[in-house]
Amino acid sequence: MSSPSTQFATSRRMGIYEPVHQISMWAEPFKADCSPNTGTSTIIEVDTKMDKSEDTSQGTIGSSKKYDQEANKPPDKVLRRLAQNREAARKSRLRKKAYVQQLESSRLKLTQLEQELERLRQQGVYIGGSFDTSHLGLSGTVNTGTDAFEMEYGHWVEEQSRQVNELRTALQAHVTDIDLRLLVDSGMNHYYDLFRMKATAAKADVFYLISGMWRTSAERFFLWIGGFRPSELLKVLTPQLDPLTEQQVVDVYNLQQSSQQAEDALSQGLLKLQQTLSETLASDTVVAGSYMSQMTTAMGKLEALVSFVNQADHLRQQTLLQMSRILTTRQAARGLLALGDYFQRLRALSSLWAARPCEPA
Amino acid sequence: MQQAIPYRNWLRVTAAADGPIGRTPPAVHAETSSVSGKSVKGMVSENAVIVFGKRGCCMSHVMKRLLLGLGVNPAVCEVDEADEVRVIDELSTVGGGKDHGRPQFPAVFIGGKLFGGLDRLMGAHISGDLIPVLKQAGALWL
Repeated sequence: MSSPSTQFATSRRMGIYEPVHQISMWAEPFKADCSPNTGTSTIIEVDTKMDKSEDTSQGTIGSSKKYDQEANKPPDKVLRRLAQNREAARKSRLRKKAYVQQLESSRLKLTQLEQELERLRQQGVYIGGSFDTSHLGLSGTVNTGTDAFEMEYGHWVEEQSRQVNELRTALQAHVTDIDLRLLVDSGMNHYYDLFRMKATAAKADVFYLISGMWRTSAERFFLWIGGFRPSELLKVLTPQLDPLTEQQVVDVYNLQQSSQQAEDALSQGLLKLQQTLSETLASDTVVAGSYMSQMTTAMGKLEALVSFVNQADHLRQQTLLQMSRILTTRQAARGLLALGDYFQRLRALSSLWAARPCEPA
Repeated sequence: MQQAIPYRNWLRVTAAADGPIGRTPPAVHAETSSVSGKSVKGMVSENAVIVFGKRGCCMSHVMKRLLLGLGVNPAVCEVDEADEVRVIDELSTVGGGKDHGRPQFPAVFIGGKLFGGLDRLMGAHISGDLIPVLKQAGALWL
């Protein structure tokens, strides 16, 4: 997620003397998402901004002149800024302290659990799962399925940005329809790739996928079964596809309606799943039977969640396909560009939001 | 293109669908029925649209809601785990559109023929192919 050199650079600036493994964890304001797109880099940007604002006020003049220059500014502003910095630094130190304490107690607990596990193993108790009972450092990754997905998704986003830029250039340069067709096809295939990736990730950890934690915060706001609602995206796209023929207008409207209906059906199904799961877990074990059988039933119900994610992605794919049938090549190119831009802006918004200055408490 | 669901039909379906879970009625309800002792092929030929699914399955619920939203009144048949294999065997002998091996639950039959699973239903719905098929089977009137 972040290169070691980046971590140390931040450490130096913030005056920390030991490497912090997961910066995005202890920096509270930024803990919202650990996605590769906004996590650590956001913090670096904020630091840079703080440094830069001091640099620009002096230019290349030596330090002795610094106070002269700053004395020319209204002194209360300077004083206030210094006070805010002190406050921020104090808070930072407190947060760090809390984090370290949390780490130490977790480490203690982990050692205790490992010892317990070892003891039970020796007694011949079967323990499922893939626990490494040798002394784990904090670097042990327990869930490689989601890590792999996050990395792959990071690459996917980069590739998408590249494709979006290519589309933009091509449309402005008025290339032939044949060339545009190639770009449109790779754009569509790129989305299909994403759905394939998601299907694999759903099998590994469906809750993770459904949580949208692999997406930026603003994207998560629109989350519906692990992604965007196709009908909503159509509403975003359509105004940017003008001019459309009358038949196209009707077709796109119908597609929007159909998608809405399908989304509603899926949402209803999901509600039913929630209800049945809730009922399964709420039933009294004394009356209904053993705790284990209750859990087994509940586990069976949860399997359905994977199907829901797959169906939702199938719907997204089908909607995309139908749009490509309705639109001309040029319109499809504009549509893909608009879609890519929309996602990029949502991601940028998430970064901006995460980096906004926090009010002192 | 949205059809308003006739009040009469809607009332009938919800009454049947909200029946007590786990009770196997000996008589066959108009909409939701269970399979014990009943000819599955008979049900397929009697109903313009019928959804077969495992009891308590949420995906067959999705199928039902989708069809209801289109103004169709689908029959729903809930299959107990014990009857699953037998029912699928029988259903395999019914002709179908994209026939490849045994039908899987949930499965929808339109006009006496196997239409497919939820994938197929969604795909046809989005591409606009579903409504003509439903009309032809007499499940929808304009």
